[in-house]
Amino acid sequence: MTLAIRAQGLSKTYTGEGAPVTVFSGLSFDVPEGRLVAVMGPSGVGKSTLLHLVGGIDRPDSGRVEVLGSSLEDMTPRQRARFRNDNIGFVFQFHHLLPEFTAEENVAFPHRIAGVPEREARRKAEDLLARVGLSGRGDHGARALSGGEQQRVAIARALARDPRVLLADEPTGNLDAASAQGVFDLIREQHRERGMTTVVVTHNPDLAARCDRLFVMSREGIFPSSGLPERG
Amino acid sequence: MRFETFVALRYLATSRRRAHVALIATFSVAGLAVGVAALVVSLALLSGFQDRIRRQMMDRTAHLRVSPARGARLEEAPRVRKVLQALPGIRRVSPAIEGRAWASDATGSTGFPVHYRIAAEPPGGAGEARITGAMAARLHAGPGDEIRLVSSRTRLSPIGPVPVAAVVTVGEIRRGSALDKPGEIEVSEETARLLAQWPAGAGAYEALLQDPTAAETAAALVAGELGAAYRVETWRELNGPLAFALRLEKTVIFLTVGLVILVAALSIVANIALTVVEKKRDLGVFTSMGAAPVSLQRIYLTLGAAIGALGTGTGLLVGVGLSLALDRFRLVPLPSDVYLLSHVPFAVHPREVAVIAVFALAMALGAAILPARAAARLAPGEAIRLSR
Repeated sequence: MTLAIRAQGLSKTYTGEGAPVTVFSGLSFDVPEGRLVAVMGPSGVGKSTLLHLVGGIDRPDSGRVEVLGSSLEDMTPRQRARFRNDNIGFVFQFHHLLPEFTAEENVAFPHRIAGVPEREARRKAEDLLARVGLSGRGDHGARALSGGEQQRVAIARALARDPRVLLADEPTGNLDAASAQGVFDLIREQHRERGMTTVVVTHNPDLAARCDRLFVMSREGIFPSSGLPERG
Repeated sequence: MRFETFVALRYLATSRRRAHVALIATFSVAGLAVGVAALVVSLALLSGFQDRIRRQMMDRTAHLRVSPARGARLEEAPRVRKVLQALPGIRRVSPAIEGRAWASDATGSTGFPVHYRIAAEPPGGAGEARITGAMAARLHAGPGDEIRLVSSRTRLSPIGPVPVAAVVTVGEIRRGSALDKPGEIEVSEETARLLAQWPAGAGAYEALLQDPTAAETAAALVAGELGAAYRVETWRELNGPLAFALRLEKTVIFLTVGLVILVAALSIVANIALTVVEKKRDLGVFTSMGAAPVSLQRIYLTLGAAIGALGTGTGLLVGVGLSLALDRFRLVPLPSDVYLLSHVPFAVHPREVAVIAVFALAMALGAAILPARAAARLAPGEAIRLSR
């Protein structure tokens, strides 16, 4: 069984204005390729931090992260950025769409960062918006969309480069039940269609139950839950 | 359009929606525009006056002067003359003979010491002279009046040494200029040779060129031909102290008025730093999409360059337009009974405008470097985590 994500002995401490806060220490987390994995746990245990470390947008104080067989620690910042652009998609709880740009421009960004010509990037973004059910909404500003639509645009943006790993940090946490269901269905549909490895952090046990595997995270670490049968 | 440029321009275009950023952005652009316009107008004003002085230098000074490196007399005067006459674009070659004399009007009632020399441009016929307005006033002489010049040289006569004298007619009276020396009189070669008692040869040779701006090239040619035994000087070198003073004046004005641009650049630092803080979350999101730190840095450098280009462009338009209008329509008059000019001249030199543009853009870009580096160093995970 090939591992898409292999994190070993991760430690992370935030040093801000106050006393240093250790989020976790010696944490290990493996995800086989092609699985849809849910991570649950109380607030503050470092679920988002774990996703950031796995996605390479934050650095661990110690430990190693390998994604698709490549060690993020061995890459230069530029190589890591390129790797992220090619292989990893992020979905955030608060969608984090860029308000100065239209939905289509938001979705086209990963392509434009990769150097895809503007026209082609826009065309691909338009296609992707249509596939997440937002056909004809491309020229709407991010603020002109509903919460569910905004999260769909965020998912389309995360899928823009056809990533092999999708990291979703509470993608439904800010939505009503119906929208949350729709967004989760979309993630699951895209996961199956594209054969990605998907990690979803969620507080919703019903949605977690629909994943292939559930991990529970606490102060003690992250462990596979015995409550869910392994599927796939 | 590159991704970084696209983002930077959009941030600039939408800054008006964010009142505080818009205010600072407006101040940045307006400050830079005012600084650039002030610099353009100041230098155009200086250039207006300095161009006139430079033209007078070219009119009243020999464009090339060849003198012996040692001694007061040219050893090979015919060779020097020949080399000068062979120059491309040569207009006139004449010997340089000068000396002191005592000038008085025809009646001999008014007299004072003068310095005579051969005119670069002949003042008229052999017996004519060109004098300054001040000298004309002291001698009560007008065009066509005679002046008596008594040289400091003497010649032997049966009764012993007697002073050499010559009578010249006032051919031209120069209008006053910054370059006029009150006691200088320009005479023909014949009169100068007579007064100096120098029937042949010369202390130096002077030449006028069709194009005085090519004097340096011509000087290099002459120096190459004649070798180290001769000193070859151009009109710029002959007027060295004045040319230096003019350059210094322009440099000082550039630096002092340029301070306005420096102040504007500081407000660009504030503007971009504020945008970096405000768009912290965006930086994290761009990083999550695969933007490298150098790309984030480029966004803010481009923003600085865009503010710089907007401010500089506006400033150049206003500055150049104002200068041209002030000169064309003579909007700053001068009292003609006090000054020789009827209006303040303004001259826009494209090279100076280019230097101002490059300076202003460099300052704007330089102002963006610090906040842009801060943007590149930002921890993206933290930016996203803290912006919930």
